[in-house]
Amino acid sequence: MRKIVVITFILRITLSCIPAFAQISPGKLAAVHSHLEGISNCTHCHTLGDKVTNDKCLACHTELKARVDIGKGYHSSAEAKGKSCTSCHSDHHGLAFQIIRFDKEKFNHNLTGFPLSGAHAKKQCKDCHKPDFITNGKIKSKKFTYLGLTTSCLPCHADYHQKTITRPCLDCHLSDAFKPASKFNHASTKFPLAGMHQTAPCVKCHPVTITNTVKFQKFAGIQFTQCSNCHTDPHHGQFGLNCSSCHSDLSFHNIKGIGNFDHSKTKYPLENKHQAVPCKSCHKGNVTDPLKHERCLDCHKDYHDGQFTKQGVTPDCSACHSTKGFPGASFTIEQHNAAVFKLQGAHLATPCFACHKKQEKWSFRQIGKTCADCHKNIHEGFMDARFYPENNCTLCHNTSQWKEVHFDHSQTKFELTGPHATLGCRACHFKKDEAGVVHQQFPGMQASCSNCHKDNHNRQFEANGVTDCLRCHNASLWKISNFDHNKTAFKLDGKHQNVPCQKCHKQITEQNITYVLYKIKETRCESCH
Amino acid sequence: MTFAHRLYIFVLTAIVLITFGLIFFYGYTYYKLPLEERFFNQGYILLKPGGNWGHGFGIIGSVSMIMGIILYMVRKRSRFLARFGLLKHWLEFHIFLCTLGPVLILFHTSFKFGGIVAVSFWSMVAVFLSGVVGRFIYIQIPRTIEGRELSLNEVRDLKSNIGTLLSESYKLDEESYNLIINSTKKKIGVYQSNIITQLFRKYFEDRRTISSVKSACKRNNLSRADRNRIVSLVKHDITLNRRIDRLVLMQNLFKYWHVAHLPFAIVMLIIMVIHVAVTIVLGYRWIF
Repeated sequence: MRKIVVITFILRITLSCIPAFAQISPGKLAAVHSHLEGISNCTHCHTLGDKVTNDKCLACHTELKARVDIGKGYHSSAEAKGKSCTSCHSDHHGLAFQIIRFDKEKFNHNLTGFPLSGAHAKKQCKDCHKPDFITNGKIKSKKFTYLGLTTSCLPCHADYHQKTITRPCLDCHLSDAFKPASKFNHASTKFPLAGMHQTAPCVKCHPVTITNTVKFQKFAGIQFTQCSNCHTDPHHGQFGLNCSSCHSDLSFHNIKGIGNFDHSKTKYPLENKHQAVPCKSCHKGNVTDPLKHERCLDCHKDYHDGQFTKQGVTPDCSACHSTKGFPGASFTIEQHNAAVFKLQGAHLATPCFACHKKQEKWSFRQIGKTCADCHKNIHEGFMDARFYPENNCTLCHNTSQWKEVHFDHSQTKFELTGPHATLGCRACHFKKDEAGVVHQQFPGMQASCSNCHKDNHNRQFEANGVTDCLRCHNASLWKISNFDHNKTAFKLDGKHQNVPCQKCHKQITEQNITYVLYKIKETRCESCH
Repeated sequence: MTFAHRLYIFVLTAIVLITFGLIFFYGYTYYKLPLEERFFNQGYILLKPGGNWGHGFGIIGSVSMIMGIILYMVRKRSRFLARFGLLKHWLEFHIFLCTLGPVLILFHTSFKFGGIVAVSFWSMVAVFLSGVVGRFIYIQIPRTIEGRELSLNEVRDLKSNIGTLLSESYKLDEESYNLIINSTKKKIGVYQSNIITQLFRKYFEDRRTISSVKSACKRNNLSRADRNRIVSLVKHDITLNRRIDRLVLMQNLFKYWHVAHLPFAIVMLIIMVIHVAVTIVLGYRWIF
């Protein structure tokens, strides 16, 4: 009896301890399942006679079931499909037990249907699997879950394009980096890039602005039908809106159809000679490069090498020349006369080059103002310099006519009188020799007639080697007014006074010289009669 | 103890130790893990309580204990089985099964003690520990070769007539003779203190007595065999003295021990049944 009492006592004590343990549970549930603690909750997870079935798990985990039902996500992959939930997930291992635990480094994310590529592969799980990126409110409210993310970009990434682009992000972007949009092909847009557009930075056409307080680059809605949508018209509409009629997209400076270009629309219409000048002669670089054109010298070299530069200022070529040609300057005589050397006389008809182009180059400065600077002094060595001091030709000559000489011959020993005064200088001072070469002679000339005149009398009146013509002839009229036949050996009287000279003075020829014989040696009558 | 009995004990002990060693060696890396980490260890599949091995440990361990209890109880109470082996050997087999069982159950729990089944486990531990205590008490009570308890008089009759033996077989000097005869007598002074002090004093006194007996034997130039025989007889008598002294106490303790040992076993079995039933209901049927 005593034994029974003791046994009963121990049993009672022992069994009374049971409520303290009170659980058939083999261990505490994990924190996320802690609400399922209690003997009445066993069948929430356990199926009588069939352990823990997937159906029981999915009955609660409806979000996962929805994924499995549509064959999406890791749990629909070959690795997980057909497996029992409990093969990977367990419980009754304590509050701190991690029901979801796997090697995050080795996890094959491809099995989830979202292969981690590019920058995604470098991210930690929690960088993406966080409530911020979950749109489903029910899933989002969970303390932690790998569910709820989508394969689309925008739930996780900010829409940089601010809903202006409706195409999927991956049409343009790689997962390596948002920038650059490596998959984007501008050729697939309505504005395929050609020429220099291909190398232009995107921001040139797609401006970056601050929109809705964030940085925003406009890609959609860019106007492109006209060049001027993006490009500033440097011509200010001067050539119309169709830029492509002249420009190509290879370069703004690469002009096509240049032959059709109407230069008259520019500020420098081409005239005369300029119309035939090749473009490149003036537009050394790009034809669109700004070109100075106000002055000729902007293009032309100063042929005159600054000869007209005064005080640093060079007058424009157009002061003398026109576009009709370089020769034929429009420099007038009046302009010339306003300069230091007035054109007079023959100089007015003298071509410019006669004075200004004595050598190969034109010369307008320091070419001299005296006659000798241009004219050759033909008298040098033949004439006493006292007659043209300092080579001043104008003492005798003028600019009207070279031959027109005004010289006071009385300054010499031979004053010109009579016909001599009417003769040109050359008549006496320039003589041809037997060879026909003209020689001038000024000093040393004899005043005797024979020095200039020919003795037609064949030296009949020569006395002491000199024939004095003035004994008979008058110097002015060449008449023989100084001859008195009566002072000869045969005085004329009687009928002889009326007899023509030639009746007595016959023309004879001696030694091939024909002359009139005046000195008749025989004065007897019968010598004539 | 015969060689066969020794071999029997050795084999049973070896089975328990080897079982413990092998499982411990194999499952050490798993069992040492915190509970939260075990699921992720490769040993989990086999060694978890519901795993092929772990579940097996539980079933085999439970069956071992149940069989150990039932067989021994039946053997003790059945006249039919009284003819089969000595009760002592049945007890040893009972101890073997009820040691192997808890060892396997220990690994079945994978050292996770929680829930209602923990009551069963700790009851098992209590049964096991009380069994150890009971075994100590058990051997303190002299028994017949069949295992029946001896009465006090029967125990006293077991004492050897060492005085006759010494005087007939050995020629000892008087001093040595008296010393050996006195050594087999109860030391009154030792028992005049509390039980703990008694135990220590008795232990050291007995050692001194044995030592002095050995010295006396040597002094009388006895052979090694004769010395061992005399020392053995003295030890036997000292042990008997001790058992005679404690016999009544141990007999009382043994009665109470039964009262403690059995209820824990019953509690263990009841909760084990609940545990097994819940397990089966929830579909965990091991390999079946």
